[in-house]
Amino acid sequence: MSETVARTRTEEIGPRRRRPARRLSYPRRAARALSPLLWIGPAIALIGVVVLWPVYVMFKTSFQRFTANGFNLGAAGWRNFTDLFDEPDLKSILVRTVVWVVVVVGVTMTISLGLAELFNQRFPGRRAARWALIAPWAASVLMTAFIFRWALDPQYGVINVFLHDVGVLKSFGSNQADWLGRPDSAFVWMMVVAIFVSLPFSTYALLAGLQTIPSELYEAARVDGASPWRTYRSITLPLLRPSFLVALLINVINVFNSFPIIWAMTRGGPGYETATSTVFMFQLKQAFIGESAAMSVLNFGLVIVVVLVFLKVTRWKDQVT
Amino acid sequence: MSTVVVTAPPTDISALPASKRRRPPTGRTVAISLAAYLVAIIFVLPYAGMIITALRPPAELQERGYVPRRWDWSNFTSIWKTGFGANLRVSLEIAGGATLLVLLVALPAAYYTARRKFRGRMLFLLLVLATQMFQPAAMLVGIQRQFVSYDLPSPTFSLILVNAGFNLAFAVWILNAYFSSIPSELEEAAMVDGTSRLGALSRITLPLALPGIVTALIFTFIGAWNEFIVALTLTNQPKEFPLTVAINNYVGQYSVDWGHLFAGSVIATIPVIILFAVIEGKVVGGLTAGSIK
Amino acid sequence: MKRSIAAGVAVGAAVLLAVSACSSSKKGTGGGSASSGGGGAVTLSFVGADYGTGPANSTQKYWEGIASDFKAANPNITVNVQTINWNDFDNKVKTMVQNKQYPDVMEGDYFPDYAQSGLLYSAKDVTSPNTFSNLLSVFAKLNTYNGTQYGMPFTTSARTLFYNKKLFQQAGISSPPQTWDDVKADAAKVKALGKVGFGMPLGSEEAQAEALLWFLGNGGGYQDDNGDWTINSSQNAEALQFMAGMVKDGVTEPNPGTKNRTDLWKQFAQGQIGMINGSPALIPIIQEGGKLQASDWASVPIPGKSGPLDKTLGVCDNVSVFKTDTKKQDAVKKFLDFFYQDKYQVQFDKEYDLLPATNSAIKSLSSDTTFAPFLKALPNSVQYPNAPIWSTVKTQIQQQLGLAMTQDPQKILDNIQQTAKKGS
Repeated sequence: MSETVARTRTEEIGPRRRRPARRLSYPRRAARALSPLLWIGPAIALIGVVVLWPVYVMFKTSFQRFTANGFNLGAAGWRNFTDLFDEPDLKSILVRTVVWVVVVVGVTMTISLGLAELFNQRFPGRRAARWALIAPWAASVLMTAFIFRWALDPQYGVINVFLHDVGVLKSFGSNQADWLGRPDSAFVWMMVVAIFVSLPFSTYALLAGLQTIPSELYEAARVDGASPWRTYRSITLPLLRPSFLVALLINVINVFNSFPIIWAMTRGGPGYETATSTVFMFQLKQAFIGESAAMSVLNFGLVIVVVLVFLKVTRWKDQVT
Repeated sequence: MSTVVVTAPPTDISALPASKRRRPPTGRTVAISLAAYLVAIIFVLPYAGMIITALRPPAELQERGYVPRRWDWSNFTSIWKTGFGANLRVSLEIAGGATLLVLLVALPAAYYTARRKFRGRMLFLLLVLATQMFQPAAMLVGIQRQFVSYDLPSPTFSLILVNAGFNLAFAVWILNAYFSSIPSELEEAAMVDGTSRLGALSRITLPLALPGIVTALIFTFIGAWNEFIVALTLTNQPKEFPLTVAINNYVGQYSVDWGHLFAGSVIATIPVIILFAVIEGKVVGGLTAGSIK
Repeated sequence: MKRSIAAGVAVGAAVLLAVSACSSSKKGTGGGSASSGGGGAVTLSFVGADYGTGPANSTQKYWEGIASDFKAANPNITVNVQTINWNDFDNKVKTMVQNKQYPDVMEGDYFPDYAQSGLLYSAKDVTSPNTFSNLLSVFAKLNTYNGTQYGMPFTTSARTLFYNKKLFQQAGISSPPQTWDDVKADAAKVKALGKVGFGMPLGSEEAQAEALLWFLGNGGGYQDDNGDWTINSSQNAEALQFMAGMVKDGVTEPNPGTKNRTDLWKQFAQGQIGMINGSPALIPIIQEGGKLQASDWASVPIPGKSGPLDKTLGVCDNVSVFKTDTKKQDAVKKFLDFFYQDKYQVQFDKEYDLLPATNSAIKSLSSDTTFAPFLKALPNSVQYPNAPIWSTVKTQIQQQLGLAMTQDPQKILDNIQQTAKKGS
């Protein structure tokens, strides 16, 4: 049932909870019907202008032609889309995007489960430790990406200095030290950064979920003699499911749309070899606006598909009462 | 929607009287503490690196030491000469404006949705949920072309709208959960006593919903403060840049002058830390309610 | 009670914030017609490129100096100055134009497609006849669209090969390279010393310049003499293959497609690189680096496949004037005539070791030993194409050319050629 801290004097509330039904005049009834608008109107307006309208503009733009500096040259039919699908790099970019999302979100959620469990325990200095966890979120993703870019500099980056000191790195300025110059190693490092910046939110979301599990359940399990792993699997995980799923979905969307990390560390280069579909959209925008809009439409469609699949698979409707 | 809100986790040690806490630590506690401290250090390490580099003298920036031989504050002073103060002000305007706008719009919407079962309520909630899935990066082309075609006073104004719009969904969601968990009986009781609805709202409901409000506030503020891609696209002159765009500028211009870049980043982080310190403690409570449907 | 006061304060603060956000940082002087207010007071917005290497010698200072001198001479005209670093210049200006925030005067790269879209004044419209005829005519064609000249050269430079004499001595190389094979061999010897043999910037900052220098070495280029696109010519592909060979042999820095000229120039100044293509602008960077003495480096003509190039890449940075407000045309003309004076040209060139763009400034500098050899090469220089589609092609080259070091060069060139043909 509902358990809240009530600070007012609660007296017995009488049976009279509703005003007696009255016959309202027509203007009154109209006002009544429209009054929701007063409350939710601004919200709808804001969402409409800022979130929904650009979607329409985006679709419209994808069917138009432009010069490199934004002048509308008229209709283009499906040409932007055919140009986009003719791009030789598109397939590898899409594959890379899938890898990006699956690896980053998978690793993040897995580590978060452990971290949430860890930070849910009682130990001295827990509050300070929890605060440290917020650092990447507060510092902005862009900043964190720059820090790693500096740390990976082939000549003087601190990670290379460390690797040199422990003997792993042979010489500065070499190909081995040029982590961000080689597409494969650059991509791995960028995924590491993405995981790093996604952990705070996921850990906190799961932590919040853990704290809603009543301790009586754990007590009961202990009394019954269940092992910690059994307890985790049968009690914690199922009850954590709502928080887990919400965090999972939000992470998937965020990671798919992630831009600052790749932009700050490699600008998607060389060429497009470290670009995901969002970064590619931005690169296209510099000279091929129509095609960039087509890419946005494609990205948009992908997000919707992922969300719908997610809702289906997790039987979301049953979760939301 | 029936929701369960537990505001004070019963396992929280700080709720126990002091006498119960003075037990010697078990081996398990020690192991857990060490693991947690290690994790905390890992999370803080990159930012420590940033601060250390910001304190390097410019001549030492290409050297390969872990710490500078000489600590130098000059990056923090010379950065203001590059117009950084204006960037700081722009960021404050955008983040502050967006946060206020979100609260002004979300509070009534969430309250009404929680209290009344009006026609279209499910539709509205679905709309809110759907927009939580949209992100500015995905719609950048649309946003740019749209805001360019309006005759708006300044990019700051556009950015306030954009940031508010994209954070609105989360705020409505959290506030709705909170308001739903506060029984309307409390308000009714107060009104029986003779207070107006507004009075009941402000004296009873809002204080109880405070963790949720604070959570929505901080998520929006930080989201707007650290937003990059839309700001990069909509701003044109240096005095219009918020901090993220200004800092990104330093990378191209002085490509190895990490000192300025990191000094600017440190300065940019300070308001966020201040905000956290002010509302400390309520965030986890806020997230607790938000995750239960 | 407390809560409603708080609510009232919140609402008031929100209104205040909104109002201040609207009034501060207005649409700015870029494109705002309100700036030429009453009483004849005019504000011009100026956007220029930053040629400096740090806050100390940022070009912002140079232009601000001119702006204040100009204001002293013309009290009712104010010039607001903004400079952008080269890495972001194209991007930022394009975004500005996409956002319809046109500057009044722009110095930097010239975009022929702006002329095509009717955004610019012709050069003759915004300069006095004296100033116009003083501009270097060799760069006129580059700045012409449809028979009218829109861009005005502001500063020029010619590229040469810089090499580290000290490293060459240590490696036992007696004379600077003259052919491609010399370059490769010398680079290998420098690499044996543990340094980078040849610095090859193919990253997005200026890939189009480095590539062109190698194309020229094989008799190729972006266009032929008739103005037809020859991007995917066999000479160009051959040049790229030779470069890729050098990369595979490890005599260049690793992963050139991700390295930019600014970074490599700084490394050369630190003595880490044996050879690199440079312009006079590299000289102050070397001096700032403090590691190389004047006797430790020298510059020679760029080696071609079979001998040194007699043509070089003449790069010209230009001034273009956007048609923002016809009321400003007079003010703009005054400003251009003002900053094209010899004293400012010479000041700029001495500060950044670049070359002037006016005949009179060239005359005053011709006796200077640093500049003389470069000034001689200027009349023979090859320039970038002036077709409007060049700006799109250039972006594509910047993004993709580096890939030719690991993928098939011909395919990459074919791609870019396709884009060029589509536009023209």
